[in-house]
Amino acid sequence: MSTEVVVAGADVWKVYGSGDTEVRALAGLNLTIHRGEMVAVMGPSGCGKTTFLNCFSGLDDITRGTVTLEGVNIHALPDRAKSEFRARRMGFVFQSYNLLPVLSAAENVELPLLISGTAPAEARERSVTILRELGLGDRATFRPAELSGGQQQRVSLARALVANPAIVWADEPTGNLDEEGSVQVTTLLRELNLRHHQTMVVVTHDPDVAAKCDRTYAMRDGRFAP
Amino acid sequence: MASVVGGLLLLLLVVAVVVGVLALRQRVSFRIAMRNVRRGRWRTVLIVLGLLVGTAIISGSLVINDTAGTVNTHFTYLAYGFTDEAVYNSSVAQGSAPYVFFPYSTYLTVAGRTAAEPLIAGTTPEIVDTGSAYDRTSGVPETGVQVIGVDPNASALLGAFTYDNGSSTAGPLPGEVLLDDQLAGNLGASVGDHVVLYGATAVPLVVQGIVQDDTRGGFFGGNNAFVTLATAQAFANESGALNFLAVTNVGSLTDGVGHTGPVMTFLNTTLDSLGRPSGLVAVPLLQENLNAAIASGQSIATLFLVLGLFSILAGALLIVGIFLTLAEERKGEMGMLRAVGLSRGGLVYIYLFEGTVYAALSALAGTAVGVLVGYVLIRIYAQTLAVTASAAVVTAFVQSFTVTAQSLLIAYVAGFLLTIVTIAATSGRVSRLNIVRAIRSIPEPPPQRRVYTYLAYVGGTLAVLGGLLFAATRVGTGDVSYPLLGLSLVILGGGLIAARFVRNRYAFSAVGALLIAWAGTVELHRLVLGSSHTDSIFAIFVEGIVLVLGAVLLFVFNSDLIVGGIARLAGRRPKSVAVVRVGLAYPRRRPMGAAVNFTIFAMVLFTVILIAAYGAGETAAVNNSIAAESGGYTFFGYSTSSIANLSSLVAANATLASVISLALPVTYGTIADYPAGWTGAWYDQIYAPPTTGANGQTFYSTNTYNFTATWHGLSTAEVWQQLATNASVAVVDQSYQPVAASFGATPHPTVALGAELPIQNIGTRAETNVTVIGYMDQEFLAGVWVNPAAAAAIGYTNFQGSIFRVAPGVSAATAGQDLKRAFFPYGLQLFNVAEILQKAVQTLQGVIGLLEIFVALGLAVGIAGMGIVALRAVSERRVQIGMLRAEGFTRGMILTSFLLEYSYVTLVGIGVGTGLALWLYYNATALNPSSPVGTFAVPTAAVVSIVVVAYVLTLAAIAGPSWKAATLPPAEAVRYTE
Repeated sequence: MSTEVVVAGADVWKVYGSGDTEVRALAGLNLTIHRGEMVAVMGPSGCGKTTFLNCFSGLDDITRGTVTLEGVNIHALPDRAKSEFRARRMGFVFQSYNLLPVLSAAENVELPLLISGTAPAEARERSVTILRELGLGDRATFRPAELSGGQQQRVSLARALVANPAIVWADEPTGNLDEEGSVQVTTLLRELNLRHHQTMVVVTHDPDVAAKCDRTYAMRDGRFAP
Repeated sequence: MASVVGGLLLLLLVVAVVVGVLALRQRVSFRIAMRNVRRGRWRTVLIVLGLLVGTAIISGSLVINDTAGTVNTHFTYLAYGFTDEAVYNSSVAQGSAPYVFFPYSTYLTVAGRTAAEPLIAGTTPEIVDTGSAYDRTSGVPETGVQVIGVDPNASALLGAFTYDNGSSTAGPLPGEVLLDDQLAGNLGASVGDHVVLYGATAVPLVVQGIVQDDTRGGFFGGNNAFVTLATAQAFANESGALNFLAVTNVGSLTDGVGHTGPVMTFLNTTLDSLGRPSGLVAVPLLQENLNAAIASGQSIATLFLVLGLFSILAGALLIVGIFLTLAEERKGEMGMLRAVGLSRGGLVYIYLFEGTVYAALSALAGTAVGVLVGYVLIRIYAQTLAVTASAAVVTAFVQSFTVTAQSLLIAYVAGFLLTIVTIAATSGRVSRLNIVRAIRSIPEPPPQRRVYTYLAYVGGTLAVLGGLLFAATRVGTGDVSYPLLGLSLVILGGGLIAARFVRNRYAFSAVGALLIAWAGTVELHRLVLGSSHTDSIFAIFVEGIVLVLGAVLLFVFNSDLIVGGIARLAGRRPKSVAVVRVGLAYPRRRPMGAAVNFTIFAMVLFTVILIAAYGAGETAAVNNSIAAESGGYTFFGYSTSSIANLSSLVAANATLASVISLALPVTYGTIADYPAGWTGAWYDQIYAPPTTGANGQTFYSTNTYNFTATWHGLSTAEVWQQLATNASVAVVDQSYQPVAASFGATPHPTVALGAELPIQNIGTRAETNVTVIGYMDQEFLAGVWVNPAAAAAIGYTNFQGSIFRVAPGVSAATAGQDLKRAFFPYGLQLFNVAEILQKAVQTLQGVIGLLEIFVALGLAVGIAGMGIVALRAVSERRVQIGMLRAEGFTRGMILTSFLLEYSYVTLVGIGVGTGLALWLYYNATALNPSSPVGTFAVPTAAVVSIVVVAYVLTLAAIAGPSWKAATLPPAEAVRYTE
C-alpha cells in the first residue's frame, strides 16, 4: 500500500441550522486516506455517513475545517473548478445507481470521459473495454431499464472507474441489491481496488461490505467512534 | 339561439349533477382529488393558465362575432333608418337614377291600400337619384352625390333630421338643401353656402343646414343632399314623378323590422292586385341588409374561430400533456393507491374530480381572457381602420364593443366541456398502470404484439371509413376537405395495419411522408380529385392537421436520426458532445414525450405563418396587379353626361394640360350578357375605346394591359389590333376565364376563347354577338371590351367613360382634384386604381394582423406547455442532475443541456410548422398560376419576427426551470426522493 495521501480531512465540521435547531452533522472529523486504500465508513442511519461522503468529495460545502484531495483544498475551489476536479479525479457510485435512463450503458460510462476532455472515439473504446472487464460487454448498448439491478450497479461502477480517478466514493453501493447481487458488487469493488490500486471510500451499513475493506471508520453523531 | 343556450345550460347542469353524484359515491377519490388541488396552489394556477387558452380563443371569437354584428347592424340602421321595406323598380337603369320613375298617382294608389294594413305605419314618397354638386362658396366640387327628394310634411314617419348643433328639422325647404356631414365635409360646405346640384338639369340651392349622418341623414350610407320632392323632380327632369316608396312599419326603429314578413306578403299581394304598376316590386330592405350585416359579422367570427381551431386543438393537447405529466409525477402514489385497494375506476375519478375543478376555473378565466383579447383586437383593428375610414366609423366601431351573456355562456360551457372531455379521455389512459412498475418506478415495457393486432383492427376500421368517405366525395363539386380527409384516414389506417407486420419506423415514416405529400400537394389533389371541388376555410384546417400529423410521425419515428444529425453538427469537442448527448437524449429516446409540445408548436406556427404568407401573397399580388390592373393609366372615370371632346377640353384647360398627359373618352354602358352554361343574364359593363376621331387609335397603342390567354395564341398587339378593326370580336376581364372553384370566390360565368358571347343593351334590349379572343389580366374594369362599332350596334355611342394618365412627377391627388373641378358638371367620378388597391391591401393587412395575433394565442399554449414540462423535468430528474454534477458537469453545462433539449423541440416544431405552411402556400400559388389566393411571396420579415418572438418567449419560459436545474446543490439532488 502506498503512503501517498489522497484524502486528508482536518477538523471538518458541517452544521445545519443555528441556535436551538442546530444540527452537527459532522463534528470535527479528521481523516487520512492513502492511495490504494479501500476504506469503509459505517454507522446507523442519521449518523452522518452520507454527509461525510458529500463533504469530503466536494459535493457539499463544509462549515469549518479543510479537506484536501491529492493536495488540493477542494472547498477553496470555485464551483466550475470543483466540477472539473470531480470530472478528472473522482468517481461516484450511489445506492440507486443514478444512471441516465435515456442513455445506453456505454453512453452512461462515457460521460465522465467526455466531460474531462477525452476524444469521443477514445471514450467509446474505453467505456466498452471497462464494461467488458466488468462482464457487461454484451450489454453496452442496453439502456438501464433493460438491465438487472446488479448489472446497473456494475455499469455505475464502470462509470466511476472509467476515467481512472484518484478516488471512488461509493454511497451504500449494495443498498438496492439482493444478497447475491450484493456479494457480487462487493467482491468486484475489492477486486478493482486490488487490481488497479484504486482508492475507494465506501459508505455502508452492511458489515459484510465493511469486512472486505482495509479499514473501517464507525460513525456516530457526526464523529468517528474511537 | 335561445334553444342553444338552454341546451348548453342543461348540458352544464347534467355534467354538474353527474359529477356531484359521483363525488358522493366515490368519496375517497373525491377527497384525494381535492387534496391534490389544494396541495400545490402555484401548480394549480399554472395548470389553470395552461388550460384556459382554448376557452379564451372560443370566447374571443364570440366577442368578435358580437361586436362585428353590433357594428354592422349599427351602420345598417343608420343607412336605412325607418325605411323597413321599399317599393321601387330597379330592373332598368334610367339616366343617372338607380330606380325607374313612376307617376305620383301610383304612390297615392299604393298608399291608399297600405293605410288599411295595421302593421304599416305609413308610406313615404321619395326620389333617390345621383349626381354632382358644386359649392360655389368654397369652390369645391363633389361627384357621386346622392340626391334625395322628400317633402317634410310627408316624411314624418322617417323621423326628423338632426343638425350638428343638436336641434332638429322636419326636412328641406323649397330652394334649399340639407347636406349630411359626409357631403358637407367633402364639399367644404357651411350653412348659407350656394350649391349647385348637377343631374339631368342644374339646380342652384342654398345650404339650409348640415345634418348628422344618423338614421335620417345617413340614408343609404351617406354623401347625401336632401331636397324637396319638387326640387328633386327638377333635378331629374321628371316632373310629377317619383321613384322610391319608403314603407315604415309600426313599432320602434328596431322593432318595426319584426313585422317585415307579413308586411311583405301584404305589399306583394297589393302590388299584384294593382297589376304591378311600372314594374314595382317590394323589397324587405332593412331585414335583407340586417341579415347581410349579421352574416358578415358571423363570417368574420367563423374565420377567427376556424383558424383558432388549431390553437384550441393545441390547448387540448396541452391538457393531455399536463395530465400525462401529473400522472407521471404521481405514478408511485397511484401505484400505492391501487395496491391498497383503490380500483382503476377510482383513479379515473380522482383525475375526473380534480379535472372538473381545473376545468371550471380555467373556463371561467378563459372566458374573461377571451373577452379581453377580443377587446384588444377590436381596438387594434379600429386603429387600422383609421387609415381608410372616417373618424365616425372608427369611433362607432370602438363604441360597438359588445359582449352578450349568451356568448359568455357558450364560451364558458364550450371551454368547460372541451377541458373536461379531454381530461376524462386522458384519465382513462393514465389510470392504466402496472401496480408494481408504478410503485418501483420501473419503465413500461414496449407494447406487446397483441397491442399491434388491436391497432391493426383500428387501422382497418379507419381505412374502411376513410375509403367510404373518399369514394362518396371524390367526384362532384363538394368541399375538398372531405375526400382529403377520407384518403388521409385510408393512409393512416394502412399504417396501423402495416405496423403489425413491419417495424414501427418503416410503417409510420411511410404514413407520415404520404400524409404530407397528399395534404400538401395541390397538384396531387387535382390529379386524384379533378378540379371541380370547392376549397374552404375548413379544408385549410384539415390540410393543416394532416400535414402536422405527418410531420409528427416522421419526427417521432426518426428522432434518433434527426438528433444524430444535429449531434454531428455540434462538433467533436468532448464537452460539447457530452452536453449535446445529455440535452438531446430525452427527445431522442423518448420522442413521444416531446411530440406533444412539438405538435403544439408545429400546429400554431403552421397557422400563423400560413396567414402571414397569405397576407404577403395578397400584398405582392396587389402590388403586381396595380400595373396589370391600371393598364398604364392613372384614373378611370365615369360621368353622368357624355364628354365626347374630352381630349380637346383637357388640352384647352391650362391647369389640366400641365398635369394630364393623356385623356381618352371611352364609350361605356351596362349590358346583359349570356355566357353559355350560365342560367339567365349576367349584368356587366361594356367598354369601347375610340378608334377614330381626335384620339385615333391611341388607346390601342398606349395601353399596357396584358392577356392571361388569347385565342389561337394571338399576341397582345394582335389582339388589340383585332379589337381596333373588327366589330365582331371582344376581350373580357379575367373573371370570365375558367378557373378551379375556390374558397370565397363569388360565382361568375365563364366564357371560352373563340366562343360567341351575346351582349344586350339593358335599356333598349338591342343585342349583338361578339367572339371572345382574349382574357385581360385585370378585373378592375370588369366586363366586355369591344370595338366602338359593336357598342354602337347595341345603342351605346356615348362617351361617359374616360381614361387619364397623369404627367410624370405630378401628384395623382392634385390631378384628380383638378379633373373633378373641371368636369363636375358632367358628374365625373374618378377611380385611382393604385390607390384603391393599396387601400384594400391596408385593410386586408389589418385583418391579417389581427388573425395572426389571435392565432398566435396558441403560442401561449406551446410556451406554457414547454414551461410546465421543463419545470416537471427538473423535479423528475433531480437525481440525474445531481449525478451529472457529481461526474463533473458544471452549472453552465446543465443549463445548456436543458436549454438545448427544449430549444430542439421548440425549434423543430417551429421549423416544421413554418416549412409546412410555406410549402402549402407555395403549392397553392406558385405551382398553381391560376390560383385565386394570391401570389407566392415569403413574408420574410413576418416569418423572422414570429419565429424569433416564439423562440424567445419559449426561452423565457424555460429559462427559470433550466436555471433551477443548473443551480441545484448536487449533494441534495443526488439523494432526492419525491
